[in-house]
Amino acid sequence: MSWFQKKSPEPAAEGPKTTPPARAAKGLKVSTILAEDTILFPSEGQEKSAVLQTLAAAVCGKAGIADWASFLAKVQEREQGISTTLDTGLSLPHARMDGIATILAGMAILKKPIPDPKQTDLTIRVMFLFFSPNKQEAFPLHLQLLRGVSSLFQAALIDQLTASSGPAAALELVKKLEA
Amino acid sequence: MLSFISFWRAAAIVLCDLASTAYYIGGIVEQAVGPAAPWFILGVMLFSYAIRAVYMESCSMFVRGGVYKVVKEAMGGKLAKLSAAALMFDYILTGPISTVSAGQYLSGLLNNLFPYLRIGWHLDPHSFAVFFAVAATMYFWWENIKGIHESSDKALKIMQMTTVMGAVMIIWCGYTVWVRGGVLPPFSLTFSEEGLGWAARVSWLKPIGAVGIIMAFGHSLLAMSGEESLAQVYREVEAPKIKNLERAGLVIFIYSMLLTSAVSFFAVMIIPDSVRISQYGDNLLSGLAMSVVGPHWMRLLLQCFVVGVGVLILAGAANTSIVGANGVLNRLAEDGILVDWFRGLHRKYGTTHRLINLIVGLQIATILLCRGDVYLLGEAYAFGVVWSFVFKTMAVMMLRFKKREPREFMVPGNIRVNGVEWPIGLAAVFLILFVTASMNLLTKRVATISGSVFTAVFFGLFVFSERWNEKQHAGGHSPHEKFNLRQADDLKMVREEIDKPHRVLVALRDPNNLYHLTKVLETLDDDTTDLVVFTSRIRSGLGLVDEAVTMDHEEQKLFTRVLELAEKSGKTVTPLLVVSNEPFYAITQAAQAVGATEVVFGVSAKLSTDAQLERLAMTWGSLQTDKQPVRFRILGPGTEHAVDL
Repeated sequence: MSWFQKKSPEPAAEGPKTTPPARAAKGLKVSTILAEDTILFPSEGQEKSAVLQTLAAAVCGKAGIADWASFLAKVQEREQGISTTLDTGLSLPHARMDGIATILAGMAILKKPIPDPKQTDLTIRVMFLFFSPNKQEAFPLHLQLLRGVSSLFQAALIDQLTASSGPAAALELVKKLEA
Repeated sequence: MLSFISFWRAAAIVLCDLASTAYYIGGIVEQAVGPAAPWFILGVMLFSYAIRAVYMESCSMFVRGGVYKVVKEAMGGKLAKLSAAALMFDYILTGPISTVSAGQYLSGLLNNLFPYLRIGWHLDPHSFAVFFAVAATMYFWWENIKGIHESSDKALKIMQMTTVMGAVMIIWCGYTVWVRGGVLPPFSLTFSEEGLGWAARVSWLKPIGAVGIIMAFGHSLLAMSGEESLAQVYREVEAPKIKNLERAGLVIFIYSMLLTSAVSFFAVMIIPDSVRISQYGDNLLSGLAMSVVGPHWMRLLLQCFVVGVGVLILAGAANTSIVGANGVLNRLAEDGILVDWFRGLHRKYGTTHRLINLIVGLQIATILLCRGDVYLLGEAYAFGVVWSFVFKTMAVMMLRFKKREPREFMVPGNIRVNGVEWPIGLAAVFLILFVTASMNLLTKRVATISGSVFTAVFFGLFVFSERWNEKQHAGGHSPHEKFNLRQADDLKMVREEIDKPHRVLVALRDPNNLYHLTKVLETLDDDTTDLVVFTSRIRSGLGLVDEAVTMDHEEQKLFTRVLELAEKSGKTVTPLLVVSNEPFYAITQAAQAVGATEVVFGVSAKLSTDAQLERLAMTWGSLQTDKQPVRFRILGPGTEHAVDL
């Protein structure tokens, strides 16, 4: 018999920050599916649902998808199920969509953490939204991305992202970590 | 960790009981039926192959397929308790007869050696035998308190030495017969008054012809005492279980045929009639060692060797009797026959120490009561052996009709008539046993009286205990397997215990949904892969968890089922219970801590397989500290998903 607790993330230490080794998804770099215009810095005071809506619109807009509402509906449906928020402060909403051939992704960086309405003991500091093709052969890639993103976005990177000056700097941080 | 033993170890444990009879069977049977004894011992050893087949068939149906379980399935609880009580009589006497016999051998040797060492002592064989028997029983009591793996190590070493001794004796005795010439023992029976028992008063029952053969066969039957231990150790045998049981059975048969039968023949052929029973009745192999050709000092050395090994194997039989009796009482306790208190586990070693204490206590009482008389013990001994075999064979035969599903092994000799398979082989075995057991009731007075009293007392105890237990558990939970929980703040302790190249973690929740564990056990390579069976107890909040180290009813039920499946497959399993506030976090943490290369789930009633895999992938990534690849598998009836990450 043993005891494991999921603990709240510890506050970032003062002084120079160390970055954990990059552990991106197999054969897929997270930085290559992000673009500056899909990295958002939402204004303070927004709830999770509002941030998700803005991010979904941005991701779909970048891919030229007009019907972003159906994408949002799918991801909201998924959010009703098992939690996608980790105790590192990363929220990882996702959905598998018909009609797309590649992965579409975007990221919202929250200067001020917001609570997760489903898990009130957790707060969200970075939201990484992605859509992947709804095909059986794409499912392993979907899972690898989930593992890769959650592995990459550890507390140290999230601290750096929330302190970054804008989308370009944020993307550079991700690229640097994956290099 | 639930671990299993090889067929060599299983054979060694059983042989410590079965082969040790070679040391006293010849003397006991000859005192009852005369110099024809070896023929009947040979007959019994050949017949033991059929008994082995009966046990194999019962084990193929039930992993814990001892007499109690099989009789209960076939004929109900009352007869099962009666047969278990008879079997307990067998086990309780196995220890004393073996250790007292060892004491007799040792005192005989020491009395031979004292003059050479210029020591003017003479040990009273009976008093010394009692002293030695108590000491040996206490030693094996401690070994069993520590656990079967410990004791199987000892059994294996004892059998290795016995093999050397047996080979030396057979070669030396063969050489002696070649040099001196030899005549096979006569086949004519000369029953002693004690050997005829009450049958002497039955005018129409003459000890001649077939009746005489049955009487003599009955006196020799205790030569195969120990076969029941085969069923008791079966649950501990590693995969492939039935195959390994067959191998163990064959080893046991060849070994006991060579040793027990051969030395019985050589004893009658080589030891002069004038001293064989009068001087060596209780230590026949010592007599054999001192009667072979060769200088006196060499024969004395041979006697030292024979006695040394004899002391070890006979003391080992005491160990086997404790293992066997403990197994029987455990089955009874699991079935609610014995009060739960008996099943309490030893704090350090995890053994059922109270049952072991009870068995050893009864054995020591028997040793003190018999006052070192091997013949008396031998006379009483056969009751439990033969009646437990009768019940067992009858039960296996009845199950042929009650439980018609295919078995991995069947006693040969089956004839199919109009679609119905008639177990002719089993019926023949049963008939021989039943007739012999019935005859023994008349010819073996000590066995009939002591066996009946003991069996009645134990039967009464079981009935009373069961009723008391039923009242205690009225409306409550039925008793489950007992587990020893070791507490740890992290998984370092488990990690230290598993060292195979591959590690698979199977996550469990519902005792009724173990399909995935069954499938993993079916294909698991036990030599290269460690299997960690995991469940989590979910508690809310993030504060310090302060759980008492006890399993709740559902966890006990779950791990009882795990134990049953592990025993059935004979594959090693490391069970793990973790307290956490998030199930996926707990699984991931445990899998990463043990270095699992594969994590297996069952199909969830609440979550889709995709949702399970997605959540696991996220948690795995957030906690992973290395790049170790992992495979996630979800298995259910008609469902199999595997993803490599």
